[in-house]
Amino acid sequence: MTNAIEIHQLHYRAGRAFEIKQLDLNVPLGAIYGFLGPNGSGKTTTMRLVLGLLRPLAGRITVLGDAIPANAPRVLARVGFVPEQPHLDPTLTVRETLAFQAAFYPTWDWPWAERLLRQFELQERQPFGRLSKGQKGKLMMLLALAQRPELLVLDEPTDGLDPVVRRDVLSALLDYVSQRRATVFISSHLVHELERFCDWIGVMDNGRLITEVPMERFKNGLKRLRVTGAPPTAAAAPFIILAREHANGGAETWVVRDWEPEMAAYFATIGAALNDVIDLDLEEGFVELLRTFRGPRS
Amino acid sequence: MFRVMLYSQWKWSRLIVALGSIAAFALPIVSVQGAARADSNPLRAGELLQAVQAWGTLYPVLAAALGLLVAIATWAPDHRGRHVHALSLPLPRWRYVLLRFGAGGTLLAAPVIAVAAGALLATWSATIPAGLQGYPVALAIRFALAVLVAYAVFFAVSAGTARTAGIMLGLIGGVILVQIIAGVANLDLDLFGKLQIVVLNWPGPLAIFSGRWMLIDV
Repeated sequence: MTNAIEIHQLHYRAGRAFEIKQLDLNVPLGAIYGFLGPNGSGKTTTMRLVLGLLRPLAGRITVLGDAIPANAPRVLARVGFVPEQPHLDPTLTVRETLAFQAAFYPTWDWPWAERLLRQFELQERQPFGRLSKGQKGKLMMLLALAQRPELLVLDEPTDGLDPVVRRDVLSALLDYVSQRRATVFISSHLVHELERFCDWIGVMDNGRLITEVPMERFKNGLKRLRVTGAPPTAAAAPFIILAREHANGGAETWVVRDWEPEMAAYFATIGAALNDVIDLDLEEGFVELLRTFRGPRS
Repeated sequence: MFRVMLYSQWKWSRLIVALGSIAAFALPIVSVQGAARADSNPLRAGELLQAVQAWGTLYPVLAAALGLLVAIATWAPDHRGRHVHALSLPLPRWRYVLLRFGAGGTLLAAPVIAVAAGALLATWSATIPAGLQGYPVALAIRFALAVLVAYAVFFAVSAGTARTAGIMLGLIGGVILVQIIAGVANLDLDLFGKLQIVVLNWPGPLAIFSGRWMLIDV
């Protein structure tokens, strides 16, 4: 088993408005896989399909070597899940919630749970329904980690949390991952956050996976180029042009993907000059990628 | 697993169960209140049967109400969480449903025991006229079955989505509409009567609710 999650030719439809069509996605074992995409792109649906919460119309999903949804209970015993919205019983206190969760997971680690409880400064007698958003976020992460999962599926676990809480939650997650070599499949709107610790990146839009690459390759291959004298159509470019914008004095700005330094020679072949190569951060790359996917401008 | 499920269920249903148990305990006692004053002016057999029968109509109502409210409370935490937490737990769905059903059913034992205790106390303390007999155990068993049937029906209905509830309401509305149209058109069609016979008469699924609920009878 080389991949913790394997999705092959997945097809799912929710009503008439939304569809996931022919989705192929692979999360390598031990990777921290950042799952990016705008609202409504299908990230949460994909995660729910991965966990067997939804049933696909067609395609194959394998999680930790087991087929989903056929073997969902066996898989879920090895997976920690933090949903987008905290969906726990609001009447149970923090302590009771831990006891409830522990009853279902044979691998539940009480000493680790107690340690996280103190670390997160959660009041154990407080009902879940009365916790603040930040406290709920911490508790959800605690529940996912204390069951000692091999795979963590985290659907925007830090969404809406303040920076301090976010830091606490993510440091607990990274501690766990570094100790256990667990795989993480995490979605977030906070692109900069994912950029810090993810080693793989998948970008989804409108029910389709636009790209799936190692983070380094994605970041290193995304460049903004300052070009002069380029013809209107750049034929047979060795990189992918995501955007091409005209600037003053005949200069142009190109946003490209899959860039390698030796590709600079290409500009001489089309009679153009490459003046500058600027690194893009993940967020800029993500935005440009979506813009290209939705409607190429060059 | 069952223990934590039962505890969660208790937190949602405790008020219903507590009030239901008080009512269930009081009902048999109140129904023979006149007979209990036997030393001053004992009721005649006819009056007693009339009083017991009148109060007896409340047993199926209480059973149905308890079944309905506990069934709603059983699914309430999952409905509020849109079933995401329940579905992400590592156990087959049928087993989770069984745990939920068992937890609610276990809590309903309290009002059933209360009816049994109340009925035993009522028949023990009352002076029953000659020719009549107390049936506290039979009444308690019947109440238990009625509670269980009501709980099972409403549990199944509550488990469904708003769409399922809509379909059921639509079906009921359809029957009412057909009946109204038949009435206006002077057609000899009694859907409600037929439905009542099918559902409430033996071996109909709700037959347990019909008939006389007598703590004291001949």
